[in-house]
Amino acid sequence: MKSRLALLSFLLAGLVVAFAPLPVQSVTPQARTFQMDARQFAYSPSDLQVNLGDTVTIQLLSTDVVHGLYVDGYDVSIEADPGQIATLTFIANKPGSFRFRCNVTCGAMHPFMIGKITVGTNNWLFRSLGLATLVIAGVMTSIKSKT
Amino acid sequence: MKRPELLTRILITVAIVGAVGAPLYVWSHSPLIHAQMSENGGWSPDILRAEVGKPLHLKLTSDDVMHGFAVGQMNMDAVDVEPGKVTEVTLTFDKPGIYTFFCTRWCGLNHWRMRGTIEVSGSPSEPEPATLPLYVTLNLDIDAPHDARVIPSGQPSAMRGQELATDLPVDLSAEYYRSHSPYQVFRDMPNTALTDSQRWDVVAYLWQSNTTKESLINGQKLYAQNCAACHGENGAGDGVFADDLKAAGDASAQTMTGAQAMKMQTPANFTDPTRMLGASPALLQGKILRGGMGTGMPMWGSIFTEDQIRDLVAYIYSFQFKYPK
Amino acid sequence: MAKIELTRTPFIKNALKSRYPQLAVFIIMLVGYIFAILAGLIGTPVGSHNFSIVFVWIAWWAILILVAVPFFGRGWCAVCPIPLPGEWLQRGAVLSPPDKKPKWLNLRVPKMFRNIWLQNISFLLLALFSSVLLTTPSITGIVLTTMLFAAIGLSTIFERRAFCRYLCPVGGFIGLYSQAAPIELRINDKHVCVTCEGKPCYNGSSAGYGCLWDVFPGGLTKNTYCGLCMECIRTCPHDNIAVNLRPFSADLAKPSTRMDEAFKAFIMLGSAMIYAGVLLGPWGALKDAAYNVGSSAWFVYVFIFLAIIFGILPCIFTLGIVRTKSSIPLKHRFASLSSTLIPLGLMFWVAFSLSFVLTNASYILAALSDPLGLGWNLFGTANTAWQPMLTSILAPAQTLALVGGLIWSARTAQKASNEVKVSSTPVIAYCFVLTSIMLWLLL
Repeated sequence: MKSRLALLSFLLAGLVVAFAPLPVQSVTPQARTFQMDARQFAYSPSDLQVNLGDTVTIQLLSTDVVHGLYVDGYDVSIEADPGQIATLTFIANKPGSFRFRCNVTCGAMHPFMIGKITVGTNNWLFRSLGLATLVIAGVMTSIKSKT
Repeated sequence: MKRPELLTRILITVAIVGAVGAPLYVWSHSPLIHAQMSENGGWSPDILRAEVGKPLHLKLTSDDVMHGFAVGQMNMDAVDVEPGKVTEVTLTFDKPGIYTFFCTRWCGLNHWRMRGTIEVSGSPSEPEPATLPLYVTLNLDIDAPHDARVIPSGQPSAMRGQELATDLPVDLSAEYYRSHSPYQVFRDMPNTALTDSQRWDVVAYLWQSNTTKESLINGQKLYAQNCAACHGENGAGDGVFADDLKAAGDASAQTMTGAQAMKMQTPANFTDPTRMLGASPALLQGKILRGGMGTGMPMWGSIFTEDQIRDLVAYIYSFQFKYPK
Repeated sequence: MAKIELTRTPFIKNALKSRYPQLAVFIIMLVGYIFAILAGLIGTPVGSHNFSIVFVWIAWWAILILVAVPFFGRGWCAVCPIPLPGEWLQRGAVLSPPDKKPKWLNLRVPKMFRNIWLQNISFLLLALFSSVLLTTPSITGIVLTTMLFAAIGLSTIFERRAFCRYLCPVGGFIGLYSQAAPIELRINDKHVCVTCEGKPCYNGSSAGYGCLWDVFPGGLTKNTYCGLCMECIRTCPHDNIAVNLRPFSADLAKPSTRMDEAFKAFIMLGSAMIYAGVLLGPWGALKDAAYNVGSSAWFVYVFIFLAIIFGILPCIFTLGIVRTKSSIPLKHRFASLSSTLIPLGLMFWVAFSLSFVLTNASYILAALSDPLGLGWNLFGTANTAWQPMLTSILAPAQTLALVGGLIWSARTAQKASNEVKVSSTPVIAYCFVLTSIMLWLLL
């Protein structure tokens, strides 16, 4: 009986960690521009950080062959030929961490040509780490209660 | 051997032979033209044959990166040749001769070397005499340095020049424009009360009156697709491949008898007035037609039409002169 | 939760006992395999549009790691086409045993190779070249061909399925992870086996062949080495062999103490983490190093890869368990406790695979219609555009897999620790740290 109660309370705690709305820090959105080089098979810079609500402009410069840039989660993309900078502008209205990847086949390692943009804080990562911690707490509690 | 065993063996054999034979058969009967980066072999095959009036059906695929296909000096839209996919294009030729097909999407430093030929046979079979380009008839040495002795202090304005030119006997003809460099026009302008800066404005006006808006728009498009990768989007000779060309430098030097050693070098800076104002449209046309003989500048003679080169030249000068919007 | 005997249902029993359903699947798989080889060798060199890359490393891999292994253990081995041509040669028949058996060497595999070290090495060979293997059709074609001919060659020299049991790189980890699966093949009553004459389950009879996996079915207590070929169900004269549904990871209640299996767990765990970082991370230099085989950067990459798998991961693990006092020797404890990493590693691979499978699954439709990149359109789907699928559920699915794996491995750690009478805390802490790293790498 006691263990069922403990299990239930851990499950509840898990739901809270996973889904409870976090207080949103209101930061004034601004316009940010990034100049990004694309080559076989990496972007430079490849790890971007913006705030929620920012208007993000990425100026993509391909330095060898035709590359693309597709942002997971936002489903926006551009394509850049060497010599012609392509510009992608979107409003970062979804928080979290999103990968962006090349969507014009540019050689063998094309499927792994990946970068990352984080809008605000990577809340889902922290929630997941929280869940993992909760699991360990639960396991240690059950071990302690058995000994 | 029992019946089920025999039947199963037959079934397995048929299945395997089918799995191997069917794709092999279809593959050997599907001739494709493979596009590869120049470093990986270029077009394969790179010599095609056709007949005048008979449609030539081509199936193109890329083996590595995004490429494109177009035939030089033919009025056709370029088609993309995508990796792993097949693009079909049909060409019909009116005149026999050797046509050049080329890649239209930048695929590396040696993208411009990605070319092949289509040998078109048929009547009329008498060769048409070609008109000599102007730099040849003028006997211009397009490899010789062409620095302007005097350059303007600011960017010459064609609008100001237009106002000033109304009272001047300036030769606005196309012949004069094509065969003279801006510096020569500046130097040869009759002595008037104009300041140097005003004389440059008149030169700018001469250039502008030999240029149309369509020409500039077309030239800009051609420039972006074909030149910007080396010469830079803003003409400063700082395109994405500029460093590679410069690095190839001394190792790529080639000598020819009677000519100076040419080696790969930083692409020309079209925003440099000393270099650009000393170059006539004929000289620029010559450079574009003939290429750089080992400098890394491609030869476009078989690719661009005369009109396209005229538009490009007009656009290149727009880095030097201020034209009305 | 008790076992449910699936073969008690006549439909299931007859379907498994009859050679024909199995043969139908075999022929489809063999044709697909040969077609994949051909596609790799003569089709377009562009991986994303070639049947061999798309159907081996996206479609087959997805089904293997997301469905077959977690739910059916060695279920893939049951239908894999690689051993078939060699086996048919070895047997002199494609169905039931012939009257006259062909005279092949039928040697026993030498004792020093009767472990999974060769499989650990063959997996690592593929893993170190994976960037090239996963993206280049001709390399995939060559590797598939090599495996097929190795299996044929080994079948003419050794008895049973020597390739499958001792060399196959896939079999190495499928076997290890099959311990976590909810199905098993076991005997019903061991007293029946005691009085059985001739043991046809192992030695064969006119009804079928002796265990192809060199396992004595009467002694099977774990899934690790049973390839679900169903021959023993056909040969057992006492109808004593059954396929059962059982709780997940029932086999891990009595963890193995073998070092080859222990290191396999570390190899799989480490590779999943390295792939997550190198292939799915934003660090271009790592990808360059992994892809440019033969360059000095690649040698550094190989060194670090091997150092992580054989050095860093096992050493930290050992440091965690070395202090706990126990009458059981350290080596025994190490091997036993490393079984904790089996469910953890499996879920690491699930989480990693979900990412590239969902991102690139749209290629499957295109490759189905134009497998060789010749411009065909067999099913009308050749021009399906690349579009990542189910992107909104990817991150939650990965968290579920990784946190679920952590819970699973913590429970496994508890059971293993009870067996070797030590505290499970260090192992659980180890799993927590690695899970956190994997979460950071993937999310």
